[in-house]
Amino acid sequence: MTFRQFAYRNVVRNRRVYAAFFLASVFSVMVFFLYSMLMFHPGIGERFITGITVIGMTSADIILYVFTLFFLFYSMRAFMQARADEFALLLQIGMERRQLGRLLFFEMLLLGAASIGSGIIAGFAFSKYFFMIVKEVLDLPELPLYLSWQPFALTAGAFLSLFLLIGVMSSWIVRIRDIHDFRKGIGAAADPFDYSATKAAAGLFLLIASYAAAPLAGRVNVLYLAVLLPPAATLGTYYFFSHTVLWVLDLLRKRKSIYWRHARLVSFAETAVKIKDNANMFFIVAIVSTVAFLSVGTLASLASYTAQYRALNPLGLVYLSQPGNPDEQTHIASLERELKQRGLSYEEVPLTVVREHSSFSGQPLNVLRESEVNRLARVLGREGVRLRPGEAAFLPYSPDAASRLEGAEIDTVLEQSGVKVAVRGTMNDLLFPAYALGTNSIVLSETDFIKAASAQADRLYTFYAFDVPNWEETVGIGLGLSARMSQAALHNGEEALPFFFENPGSDYAVIRSTFHLLLLTGLLVAAVFLLAAGSFIYFKLYTMLDRDRRQAAVLRRLGFTDREFVKIVNRQLVPQFFLPWGLAMLHSTFAFLSLQAIWKEITDLSIVKEMALVLIAFTVIQLLYFYLIRWRYLAHVKGSV
Amino acid sequence: MFCSPKAPKKGMNLLPIVRIEDIIKIYEGKVTHRALDRLSFEVTDGEFLAVMGPSGSGKTTLLNLISGIDKPTSGRILVAGTDPSELKPDEAARFRRQELGFIFQDFNLLRMLTVEENIVLPLTLDQVPVKEMDARMRAAAKRLGLSDILHKRPDEISGGQEQRTAIARALIHRPSLVLADEPTGNLDSHAAREVLDLMTAINRENGTTLVMVTHDPIAASYCDRVLFIKDGAYYNEIHRDDRRRTFFQRILNMLSLLGGNVDDLSSVRLP
Repeated sequence: MTFRQFAYRNVVRNRRVYAAFFLASVFSVMVFFLYSMLMFHPGIGERFITGITVIGMTSADIILYVFTLFFLFYSMRAFMQARADEFALLLQIGMERRQLGRLLFFEMLLLGAASIGSGIIAGFAFSKYFFMIVKEVLDLPELPLYLSWQPFALTAGAFLSLFLLIGVMSSWIVRIRDIHDFRKGIGAAADPFDYSATKAAAGLFLLIASYAAAPLAGRVNVLYLAVLLPPAATLGTYYFFSHTVLWVLDLLRKRKSIYWRHARLVSFAETAVKIKDNANMFFIVAIVSTVAFLSVGTLASLASYTAQYRALNPLGLVYLSQPGNPDEQTHIASLERELKQRGLSYEEVPLTVVREHSSFSGQPLNVLRESEVNRLARVLGREGVRLRPGEAAFLPYSPDAASRLEGAEIDTVLEQSGVKVAVRGTMNDLLFPAYALGTNSIVLSETDFIKAASAQADRLYTFYAFDVPNWEETVGIGLGLSARMSQAALHNGEEALPFFFENPGSDYAVIRSTFHLLLLTGLLVAAVFLLAAGSFIYFKLYTMLDRDRRQAAVLRRLGFTDREFVKIVNRQLVPQFFLPWGLAMLHSTFAFLSLQAIWKEITDLSIVKEMALVLIAFTVIQLLYFYLIRWRYLAHVKGSV
Repeated sequence: MFCSPKAPKKGMNLLPIVRIEDIIKIYEGKVTHRALDRLSFEVTDGEFLAVMGPSGSGKTTLLNLISGIDKPTSGRILVAGTDPSELKPDEAARFRRQELGFIFQDFNLLRMLTVEENIVLPLTLDQVPVKEMDARMRAAAKRLGLSDILHKRPDEISGGQEQRTAIARALIHRPSLVLADEPTGNLDSHAAREVLDLMTAINRENGTTLVMVTHDPIAASYCDRVLFIKDGAYYNEIHRDDRRRTFFQRILNMLSLLGGNVDDLSSVRLP
């Protein structure tokens, strides 16, 4: 048997221990590969929303890489602890430290090669489905599978470097560290109830303070909070696992009437041991899960932006013609023609707009005509407005603006025409998107409007509002106009164009697919995080399995029934699974609360539903994972007593 | 006194507390192994019995059968009037924690519990009031000289103290029978003597029945009777006489006859 064969057999025969480690690595490689496949897709420059897609995929790849590095490093250390006895034996029978280091290096390389191979194969096998999903998400006509060396090279290169790095580190650690340190490391954590009461209290205080401060976030203090809260919550989390939990358990322990009951003696103390031993890991898992929940939650909330897009954009197409626009009729005719070609039914409402200045605010003001606005309202199926001469009403640009302007009473003079108006309240419903007419528009009664319009008869704007019931199908209509708009935006500013054109259906398609793509990316990354977090726990359990098994045998002899034993296992597994995760839930809930506060300022959107959905989905996954691992753990511990 | 005073040694009623009848235990596997072969014996109430035999003679299997951890292939076992092999798993567990006490070679204290917590462990399962648990624990600790280390954990005390803690744990629930598996195997000679003296005293003063499996002829010489088994079958037995020295010698002679490879014998055979 050569040295390399020995390393190989070590891995193959320890496969049960390596399994969780291996699976998480394979999954990570696979997801990395899928992203790379998309990154290098030949069609990417043509049809994709290139920028965001590439940035999203690249950052997801980088996050995956860094995270996998940490995961492997941590697992490697735990694994070395678990095998300390084996190392001690090898050293005792005369293996040199250098050789032991080489053994570990080989093992890591083998594992790396296997993970990379399986990950890439799995990734390639799934890439067809992945592309199908992406195609749906991006609304692309087709996204063909392609074969190129680049994604393969990137994935293999990235992960090979990663495993090499870990291999070198592990062989280095085993050379410099005293094996007996490792041996002591497992489960023999000195006193499980060795904690600092000050730090325990500090942890509790930091967490409660952060939670209390989170919902207070507003536009003003958001910066302070963004700087202060995450570090405070992170430190609080750290103290929570390394001190606060033990403190609480110790308080319970001192009450014999609670502690000396049933299996509690064993299960509480065992929980303390496991938490003490794994405090660092729980801390990492809690923080990583928080980040995962948050990123997916944020993306989900962005995706919900598209769902409410229609509410903010009630019109199918929008064309605003400035005074002296020579192409007005040609443009409108071509839009009508394109709509007819697509077989889309539509209704077209031209509205005359007068640009005025308000003496009240000194701001520019758009003035519209009662009869025309009412016609548009009727077409959109909304409520119209009834004005007496001298009266006016605001046109809200968002639901929030509508409620704010409700009951407003402003008396003002239109400076250009000298018309006096009393603005009384607002129209109830949204008729125009904010970008079309700006944020300051009012409706005038017929007589007042005619006065205002005649004052500057040569400077009238015409606003063409198209109502298209199947507004999502307008993608591509007015492409020429959109192109001129973006050209102008790039060169000399949109002001220079004699018109303004907007196709909300097209915009919607772009926004929707971008967010969905980011969401998909975030979900996959979060899935890798979750799997890795579960693997950490499984792995740690496995490293303590021998000790737990011996203990189970003793308990059995002392007369613990199977039920009591399962209870003990539950009591020590549940905190391991649900404490980091529960804390992550709390963290992200409060973070969402502050996000909600900020969000409200920005877009008038509520994200409670999305947040709840994301958290519920993660809960279900976590529960499944808990039962899976409990089942395996029980089988192992009870197995060979 | 922390254990219920049973009948004093002299007026010992000779009811068997353990009755083993013709038990056979066969382990099926790649190699079928007959661990116990038609073994029969009895242990009377209040007796201190040693079971000796070479490695692999089935001693540990025997303890597992008596405690209901394992079931015999055939034959009958009665412990305190119950056949542990007929109990359902939960009943067997309850039987163990009420009727039996265990002392192990490597003590098997739970490392994360303090001495006092280790001692009360068997009682916590049976809803004993805290006051009584506390009282019993203190009495046992006093008796075994553990009062000063009640709040230490097993890692902080000596092997002898660990084994005394284990003895306290084995006795706290006043079991009908205490099973000891090489209780002195991991102790130095001083601590071993201390533990054996304590076991003898408890047997004498409280009438606790003890069955000890051992390799060590010195340990066996503390008992009332030594049962020898070889290859899972009854080989012979000898009773204690007035002087431990001669009893010890007779045990050695018997072991020589028994042959086998009792490793720790070579050093003691030649005085």
